[in-house]
Amino acid sequence: MNGFDGNRLAATAVEKLLAIGADKAQASLSRTEKSELNVDGGRMSLYRTTVNISIAMTAFTGGRKGSVSINRYDKASIDSAAEEAFALAKAAEPDAANDISPKQVHGSWTRGPQKPDSDAMYESLAEFLDYSASKYPKTKLEQCILDFGCGESYYANSNDVQFNETAGLYSFFAMFTSKDGEASSSFNYSGAAHQSLKKALKDWGTIDELMRQSAEQTRVSSVGSSFEGDLILSPDCLGDFSSFLDSVYLSDYALISGNSPWKDKLGKQVLSPLFSMRSEPQSGRIEAGYAYTGDGFLAKDCSLIDQGRLEYFNLGLYASNKTGKERCPSGGGARIIEPGNIPLADMIAEVKKGVLMSRFSGGNPSDNGDFSGVAKNSYLIENGKIIRPIGETMVAGNLAAFFSGLRAVSKESIDYGSAILPWVLGGGIHISG
Amino acid sequence: MIYKGLADWPKSFGDYAELRFQENTASRLSMLNGDLIANVKGGQSGFSVRTFKDGVWGFASSPRPGSLELDKSVIEETGKKAAENARFLASKKPAGILLKSRLPSRPGISNKSFVSQKPRKSQRELIEFLRSLDSYCQKHYKGLSSRTISLSCLDMEKTLATSDGADAYSFTPRTILMVSFTVEEKGEPIDLYEVYGGLGQFEDVFAEPEHIFSKLDILADNLARKSKGVYPKAGIHDVILDSDLAGILAHEAIGHTVEADLVMGGSVAAHAMDRDVASPLVSLVDFAHTAMGESCPVPVWTDDEGVEAADAVIIDKGIMKSWLHNKESAAHFGMLPTGNARAYSFQDEPLIRMRNTAILPGSSKLEDMIAGIDKGYYFLRSSNGQADSTSEFMFGIVLGFEIKGGKIGDALRDTTISGVAFDMLKTVSAVSDDMSWSNGGMCGKKQSIPVGMGGPAIRCKLNVGGRN
Repeated sequence: MNGFDGNRLAATAVEKLLAIGADKAQASLSRTEKSELNVDGGRMSLYRTTVNISIAMTAFTGGRKGSVSINRYDKASIDSAAEEAFALAKAAEPDAANDISPKQVHGSWTRGPQKPDSDAMYESLAEFLDYSASKYPKTKLEQCILDFGCGESYYANSNDVQFNETAGLYSFFAMFTSKDGEASSSFNYSGAAHQSLKKALKDWGTIDELMRQSAEQTRVSSVGSSFEGDLILSPDCLGDFSSFLDSVYLSDYALISGNSPWKDKLGKQVLSPLFSMRSEPQSGRIEAGYAYTGDGFLAKDCSLIDQGRLEYFNLGLYASNKTGKERCPSGGGARIIEPGNIPLADMIAEVKKGVLMSRFSGGNPSDNGDFSGVAKNSYLIENGKIIRPIGETMVAGNLAAFFSGLRAVSKESIDYGSAILPWVLGGGIHISG
Repeated sequence: MIYKGLADWPKSFGDYAELRFQENTASRLSMLNGDLIANVKGGQSGFSVRTFKDGVWGFASSPRPGSLELDKSVIEETGKKAAENARFLASKKPAGILLKSRLPSRPGISNKSFVSQKPRKSQRELIEFLRSLDSYCQKHYKGLSSRTISLSCLDMEKTLATSDGADAYSFTPRTILMVSFTVEEKGEPIDLYEVYGGLGQFEDVFAEPEHIFSKLDILADNLARKSKGVYPKAGIHDVILDSDLAGILAHEAIGHTVEADLVMGGSVAAHAMDRDVASPLVSLVDFAHTAMGESCPVPVWTDDEGVEAADAVIIDKGIMKSWLHNKESAAHFGMLPTGNARAYSFQDEPLIRMRNTAILPGSSKLEDMIAGIDKGYYFLRSSNGQADSTSEFMFGIVLGFEIKGGKIGDALRDTTISGVAFDMLKTVSAVSDDMSWSNGGMCGKKQSIPVGMGGPAIRCKLNVGGRN
């Protein structure tokens, strides 16, 4: 991989696309090195290192667009891919929404470490294995992955945009099940990403708390009835549900298709005033932030939903042009759901009957926001107290209705490195089992 | 094309090594309300080497640089790095080594290609194919508020050599057409989708667009019925799971629990060998490449550890008979490796994965099975499915019908079904005499990979989510 010059390659790809007839062009490159330690069945079993590159070239001609990506960077391969991208564009149909980002000041950014500390990775993981074996002897680590990834990314287009960013990050993921004789808990998992290994891996995300819960979840039973009750979403579940909000209400597809129930609600109150969701790739609050968006804009922090009011849809350039609605200036990632001012313990105390849900195993929500699924690794709450862990219990509701009726957002929140998320409490959920 | 000359390399990387050259080529076209929103192609190719030393693995991968001369140095560097990674981990003497002896060996020698022999279609022709389908939808289904038609093609080409003598080549393509419709009912969007296609390149899977029109008519009719549909009643019900659901059940709720790495990680199947886990009507097999005399959706003759692939009979007439293994787990449990180690891309290590998992057909007729239910549900299509180590499963249901008095009734709105598979399978009271494979199955387990899932219709009891 000697001689890899991403800026030069991106510029060369754009020049080639223009030279063969494209009227606009863009190129995105990435080069990623990953070092990864794997635990399977509780034992450290594999050390894996990978190197890969990706070069994606997009040709535009008369409003037509075609894209080709390859993972070779010799001149012949780039030339061939450029010609194929141009051929794809010529085969397509014109669409006035196809475009590239406008001229911006060139930029170069670096964040995080650039090289892994392999010995420190081993020591951190070995410490975690020792900790889990001694603290949670009933809990088996099905799989853990500690990796360090360093990625160089480059973007260039024919409007004289040139960005590049180098970012290094450690990521840790743990998946576990507890056993008591022949009784098993449901598996659970969590993970996080940080720029250093200073903090013990057990304290990344919600891993330690979920392992504690897992150890007491080997014998569960359903709620035993069907009722309408409250639901507290853990930060891990809230991450899933915020993705659901995206897919149903905020995403390119939801808006272009016209299926989003919020398509005419920009600037209006759509959720509870307790709910604020920001996208902050640049502020430094999110370690896994980024400098520019995939469609070639400098990323700017923004509020997506501010105290329940819809500020931005999560639209890229094409969807923005297609729908006439404003592009999301942040690119939509690096999410923060702002904490509230009520301690989690007080939120639980407020529930007359409901479920504290730590994992949601459910289908994708319908286009109208209806969701249903199984409350995994979860607890029954009655009269303000956690009663017992539950199994074979289903929850069903509507996303907008649930988040519109939120009664509390916790003071505590979890920093996953890629997102910061609290617990939330709402009602009107159909619970059965 | 077979990448020649790999067989000489693995022995130079240590006592045991695998060398794989792999190229994945993918393309996607997507049309949303008549606009072509995706028109992309991509290719990823490279080399990987995995070595085994003192009970631990080292793995390394690099993209292919572009010429045969450069390839040699990349293979050599990748092999050295993999061996170095294994030495690094072995030097730490990690606890819990699974296998201190040699890995078992059953080297596969195979050369299987499903490359089309027909002239290849151009991108313009593929776009015209989608345009014909879209025009038909626009003309005939006036009530749609949105429509999406996507074509995804994936060719996976692998050449593999191992130090224990495996020498294998495969070219396994898959072509999937996905059509999704949405209508508005009382201001709410109601959607339904269907997937068509399967093993083979486009030219071998699809002919003329007119051949698909009747299938689109069925999809539009089902959506119209669903838009006027009802929510099911929550609770335990008599149900019939059609073949799509039976296939997902076989894969998600049973197949994952018997993957030997999950067995070691605490799966409930660890205690189920040779026990009753299902009705005697239920037999379940993970097929390697051929089932009932025909190629499976994802045929595997030699897996990515170089093992000659064989069928794994997981449940035989209700009794659990085997788990799914890689070389290491097979040695640990004293079993034969089944050829279930698979990797998605050149930079992925082989994991224990299913291949083509299906419940075997029985002897009942579907219409008799429906007639035998006084009050229940008939579920046909799932949006997704998940299961865990307890065999508790959840499937999102996007198409289903009430059964009333032994007859099909109203369509259902989206719902979820759940249960504990090893309990639920004991309630199976009928299995239909036909079976079909689902199209486009993907399995996520660190890496996402194509799988086959199939089955007959089964009648059983399970928990239905609902709103009342």
